[in-house]
Order: sequence, then C-alpha cells, then structure tokens
Amino acid sequence: MVDLPIEKANYVLEKALLAAAEFQQFNQEETDRIVEAVYKAGFNARVKLAKMAFEETGIGVWEHKVIKNVIATQLVYDSIKNEKTVGIISNDHQTGIIEIAQALGPIFAVTPVTNPTSTVLFKILICLKTRNPIIISSHRSAIKCCTETVRICYEAAIEAGAPEDCIQIISAGSHELTQMVMGHPKVALILATGGTGLVKAAYSSGNPAIGVGPGNVPVFIDESADIPFAISNIISSKTFDNGTICASEQSIIVEEKIEKDVRAEFERQKCYFLNPEETGRISKLAVVSDSLSMNPLIVGQSVESIAKKANLIVPEGTCMLIAKLNGVGKDHPLSVEVLAPIIAFYAAKDYQTAIKTCIDLNYLGGIGHSAGIYANNDQRILEFSQLINAGRIVVNTPTSQGAVGGTFNNLVPSLTLGCGTGGKNITTENITAKHLINIQRVCRRKLNEKWHNIDLNLYLDESLDESTLVKEYNKNQ
Amino acid sequence: MVTFDLNTLEKKLTCRFAGRLDTNVCLKINDEIADKMKEIKDPAMDSPDDGFNIIFDLEDVNYIASSYIRICISTAKQVEKGKFSIINSDPFIKKTFKIAGLDELLNVS
Repeated sequence: MVDLPIEKANYVLEKALLAAAEFQQFNQEETDRIVEAVYKAGFNARVKLAKMAFEETGIGVWEHKVIKNVIATQLVYDSIKNEKTVGIISNDHQTGIIEIAQALGPIFAVTPVTNPTSTVLFKILICLKTRNPIIISSHRSAIKCCTETVRICYEAAIEAGAPEDCIQIISAGSHELTQMVMGHPKVALILATGGTGLVKAAYSSGNPAIGVGPGNVPVFIDESADIPFAISNIISSKTFDNGTICASEQSIIVEEKIEKDVRAEFERQKCYFLNPEETGRISKLAVVSDSLSMNPLIVGQSVESIAKKANLIVPEGTCMLIAKLNGVGKDHPLSVEVLAPIIAFYAAKDYQTAIKTCIDLNYLGGIGHSAGIYANNDQRILEFSQLINAGRIVVNTPTSQGAVGGTFNNLVPSLTLGCGTGGKNITTENITAKHLINIQRVCRRKLNEKWHNIDLNLYLDESLDESTLVKEYNKNQ
Repeated sequence: MVTFDLNTLEKKLTCRFAGRLDTNVCLKINDEIADKMKEIKDPAMDSPDDGFNIIFDLEDVNYIASSYIRICISTAKQVEKGKFSIINSDPFIKKTFKIAGLDELLNVS
C-alpha cells in the first residue's frame, strides 16, 4: 500500500523512470507511430471529451471545447509530425556541428481547469513525440475528464508499442502530492500551465520548469482600423468558450475620437455597456478585491449566468458585458484578467494616452503574455509592438485564437504560451515538442584561423590597446 | 529468449537472454525465471547464509522493456545483497539501466 504523499510520489516516479529508460531506446519511426496512434485516438474522442469537460467543470461551451480539442490534436500533430526529435536531428557540414536529440525523462504536467482535456491532449502529444513519459496533474474539478483523456491516449499508446506507464495521472486534489512530485529529484521538467501561485511553485521546486502564467491582454483599436471587422473579431475571441483562454481580450483601448463609432458597433453586435452602478456590481462579483484576482465562480460562465448572479437585467441575446473604466489597478477591479465574457473599455484623449493605458494594463499581471492591435497603419503596429511587453502581439486577429496559433497565423499551435522573463518564463515562444529535448552538439574540429595565427603573447602586453590587438587579430584576412 | 546454466557446485545460476526483450517476451520469461528461482530456492539446494549467485547475461540483447527491468529488480530482491549481477550489457543497454537509476543496485557491467 502506498498512502503517504511521499510514497505515492516515489511510486509514480519509479514507474515513470522505468518508462523513460525504455522510451529512450525508441527510434524516430517507432516514436512517430505512437504519436500518430495517440493523435487519432484523441481526435476521435474530441466530442466526448469536450462534453465531459463541460459537464464536470461547468465552465465554457462544449462546442468550443471540441474546437480546442481539435487544435490540441489535429493542428498540434500536424505541426510536430515531421519534426526530428530522436537521434541525429541535424548535420551541418559547414560549421561541423551535428545535433543529437535526447529525451529529458519524466515530465510533470500541471493542467488548468479552464482547458482540461485540450491541455492534456496537447501535453501528451508533445511529450510522447520527444520520448518523455508524462505525469499529469489534473485540477481537482476536472479529474474525471482528464482521467478519461489519459485512458484513451494511454490505451492507444500501448497498442502502438509505447512503454508501460508512459502516461500517468494524479489528482491535484492532494496539494501535498503535487508538491512532492513537483520537487521530486527524478522529475526532469515541469510543464506548468495555470495561475500565478502554481507557476511560482513550479519555479521554486528546484526542478527545471516551463511555467506559463496569467495574461491581461490589452487590445488597441487604432483610428485606421476597420471597426466593424475589429469588433466582430474581438467578440468571436472573447466569447469563445466563454472567455477561458488566457490569451483572450481583457481590455479594449481606443482614442476618444472613435469611441462613439466603436461603442455603436459593439452595441450593434449585441454587447452591453454597463453603467457605473452595474460596473460596480459586476466588479464585486467578478474580482476578489483583496487579492485582485478573478472569482472562480464566474470563470467561463455565460453572460446570462453572470447577469443572474449579479441580479442584472441585460437585453436578451447579449454576448458580452463591457465596463467603461477610467483607470488601471486596484481601484478598478475589472482592469485585471477575468476569464469570462466581461471586458474593460477605455477611451483615451489621444493616441499617446491610449498606448500608455495599454502599457499599464500589460504590466498589471500580464507581462510577457499577449496583446492585440487592430490597425491599417504599419507604423502604429510596429510602435505598439515595441512598447508592449508580450510574447505575441497579434494583428487584426482575435487574440485567443491568434496567440494559440495554427488558425489565424503561422505561430506554432500550442496550449502553453511562453511569457518570457516578464512572466518568469525562459521563453516567449509557444511551447511545443522542440522545447522538450536536450540537444547535444557534436562539434568537429574547425579552426578559427585568426585565433590560431595571432601570437597570444601579445594579449599579455598591457601597453597594446583594443584597436591594435583587433587589427593584429584580423591581419592578412 | 532465455536459457539457463545452473551450476549447483559453484552455486551459480546464469540466465542468458537474447534479442528484443519487449513486454510480450517478458510475460513469458517472467514465468520461466520464477520457476528456476523456485528450483534453486529448494531447501535441499539452498542455504540461508550461502545462497546462489544469479547472473543475467545480456550479451545478445538489443532492447529491454521496463518490464524486463522489473524482472531484474524482483529477482535481485530474492537473493542476498551483492549476489545478483548483470553482465555483458551493450553500452546502449547499460545507459538504459543508468537512466532508470538502477545500474548500481543491479550491479550492471
């Protein structure tokens, strides 16, 4: 019997380690066969798993969860299937460097309640593609759908010849167990997707981690933008799965001169502008004021359900609630990330002020994540992009789908979006298989002629300055 | 897949394995090894303070599944400390035991 968290952690890791040992003997072809089988099984279960996730968590829209499952399987598979992830992956005769991919070992993957089955499918595919056993920690409110996802993938993997225990799942219901596994010396890497606390725990565990935290996505609509087009894109993104994607729009920022047009278009497209009193009520419901964090009770809920909870009467068919704010920070709770169809709206007196508001929002809990701009002015797009600290600045595109990649642009499709050092991440890239291998470089002898021709004793002479020595270094070249 | 060489005089059981020891093969050899272990554990042959040395010879093995590593662990547990060893492992197989963190425990060479 294994009862204590430490015993459970040891037990899970022992199994994962044996799987890792077996897995590293696989060649590319054997590995790809497993990935293909798991992709097909996951893809074929897309509807069932989406419905299960919706029923269990009560979050989002099941039809949209199907789309997420499709992105996590079909599009992710398409992006990794031809990648070389085993053995020699490149051989550059000019530089004399050969690159060899090695598996990492057991990967501990923490998955969020907002995108449970899609994140599990995605992480399983990229781990198997790189011959790494995966241990999934499911959110306690999504354990059933995640366990079923694992069962389906694991059976397909075993059928295709994968090592026993290459996919395991534990419930994050036991906080202690998650902590034990996270800090276990046999874990090779933690792939953490979730809230700030979780990501911080992953980074503090002592094991290498790729952690992806919250966003607070500002979207600037420039005066040059096609307003009806921009509004329809924003709505399709923010209402997708009831706003659960961390790259979904959180604030819309415009200049006063186009406020009237933007507002009219939002209203025409069935959005409801809250009055100040209603804004107060929704703020109280949606954001926990002490911690300035969103209330889990409204995450992924429909407008109808949120309105009911706030005793608010909105026109029938309203798809999004908009709160006009005049500031950023603790006095304006809706300026923080809220994963629901509630969005903040700012009308700035001029372009400079608008951009400064975007920067403030960006730095309020969403550094390094994503941002959006609607414009038909290249200079403005580039200016905005250089001022914003975001791994992805998506242009004239819904930010949810745009940041995830694969559908509106050529970003690598991923359910784990790197946020750079601003988000305490090591990369700003969309995480994929290539981040889960150790690349060894075999370096053939290729002499640096300049270095070997210069008399190194010259460097010992303090009277020689930089320009003299560099000249000597480059002599006869 | 496995042949046995039992030397009762030297109290040594050598198990020679060949080929690809995948999960299916392991299911079969697991029983064969268990039977053999039962045989040497017979009180007529065994004694508590002077048990058999068990040697797994992997000279002709090119792949091991995790279930094979499990067989090694369970066999090693049945004999006195230091009396189980794995010999003639290919570097690739040696690395596999290393990754599993068991090369010392299983005395892999």
